[in-house]
Amino acid sequence: MSLADLPRYEFARPRTLDAACALLSQREQTGGRTVLLAGGTDFMVQVSQGPLVDGPLPWVLDLSRLEELLGVGFDGTTLRIGAGVTYLALQRDPIVREYAPLVARMTHDIGGPTIQARGTLGGNLATASPAADGVAAIAAYDPVIEVRSLRGSRKIPMAALQTGYKQTSRANDEIIVAIELRAPAHGSAWCWRKVGARLAQAISKVAFAGIAELHDGRTTRVGFAMASVAATTALLPNTRELVLATPLGSLTAAAVDAAVTLDVSPIDDVRSTRNYRVHTAKAVVRGFLRELGAPL
Amino acid sequence: MKVALKVNGVQRHVDMAPLARLLDALRGPLGLTGAKEGCGEGECGTCAVLLDGVPVNACLVPIGQCDGREVVSVEGLGSIEHLAPLQACMAEHGGAQCGICTPGMLIAAEALLRRNSDPTANEVRTAIAGNLCRCTGYERIVQSILHAAYDLRSSDKGAAE
Repeated sequence: MSLADLPRYEFARPRTLDAACALLSQREQTGGRTVLLAGGTDFMVQVSQGPLVDGPLPWVLDLSRLEELLGVGFDGTTLRIGAGVTYLALQRDPIVREYAPLVARMTHDIGGPTIQARGTLGGNLATASPAADGVAAIAAYDPVIEVRSLRGSRKIPMAALQTGYKQTSRANDEIIVAIELRAPAHGSAWCWRKVGARLAQAISKVAFAGIAELHDGRTTRVGFAMASVAATTALLPNTRELVLATPLGSLTAAAVDAAVTLDVSPIDDVRSTRNYRVHTAKAVVRGFLRELGAPL
Repeated sequence: MKVALKVNGVQRHVDMAPLARLLDALRGPLGLTGAKEGCGEGECGTCAVLLDGVPVNACLVPIGQCDGREVVSVEGLGSIEHLAPLQACMAEHGGAQCGICTPGMLIAAEALLRRNSDPTANEVRTAIAGNLCRCTGYERIVQSILHAAYDLRSSDKGAAE
């Protein structure tokens, strides 16, 4: 759409989550399309670059200042992160730094400071780009995503959220409210690796998040996730299974590489090649397992 | 949509389409052309302003989200007659060449120095990581910001004594 279309947008800024759900539900019943706006780092680029779709312009529902979507809490087991918390706020949050250091570390690699100040996990989960670093980072914790609508609340396990390239199981009348993740044992190992063309303002060629709890040379909990290696955020089930089933000292590079190869299906694109991504995926997983003590 | 916001310490009002960008408001009705439009998609940082004290790309912020908020643009740092130490150091130490990135660099640096009065060169580089410069090779910008930090610390010390 052109700038001349701007006045035709309907824009609403509900004061409460309930009001937002009601507006969204009403809108869905009349068959109109609604954009849920958080930090705008994707949407504002689309707005200025051209038509989103043919036909009527979508409504815009601004969720960026809904208190119910802000804030971080920890109950001793579970870390709850509001869907509207910016990456900058996550970076500075003492609870996140203490109980999910991987998430805090990842935020430094998102865009640059001005993008970190605006982008949110809720936004990245909703748009479901497989290249989203933030989604890969939290996916390593196997979180649940809480969504709310007039019909009520439900919690979607991360593995059931993304149903295809930029597709999710969130219904059109549902708003992502929070991310809940079970914190690993305090002081557990974690790894965040982003491989891109430069340190800042680069979309990942490959990004890897890993967490592991160890007891007597075996992993008792493991979480891996990767960005930019498949149509959805890759959760590396074969690699997880291998690592959980094998004492660290018995892992071999060949077995790890074979599992990773099964778990990723990258493409050639403007940022990288399939071959480079497969190579890098294996390398970053082996690197983390080596840190854990595997003889790779 | 009528939006009331504080710009460089002064209460202002604009009436624009809610998805018009903060950058359009600044450069249009607010008459502040310091923030530049570079890429228009959040890559280059030359439109950076402080929104409630945090640096953002004004090209990615819809004005509909700005009601009741506080914006500082490069004009809010100092004036031609009274340059802020950051501005003076950019001029003196060759941090500004063609000038397109300068307003965004100054805002990014201002945000850094408000939180960290004695940054390392690496911290400066991280703070300006979202701001592209095609002239200086960045080194002179980093040096300018470090000089400004030093000058600010010295004047603070002077004021305290």
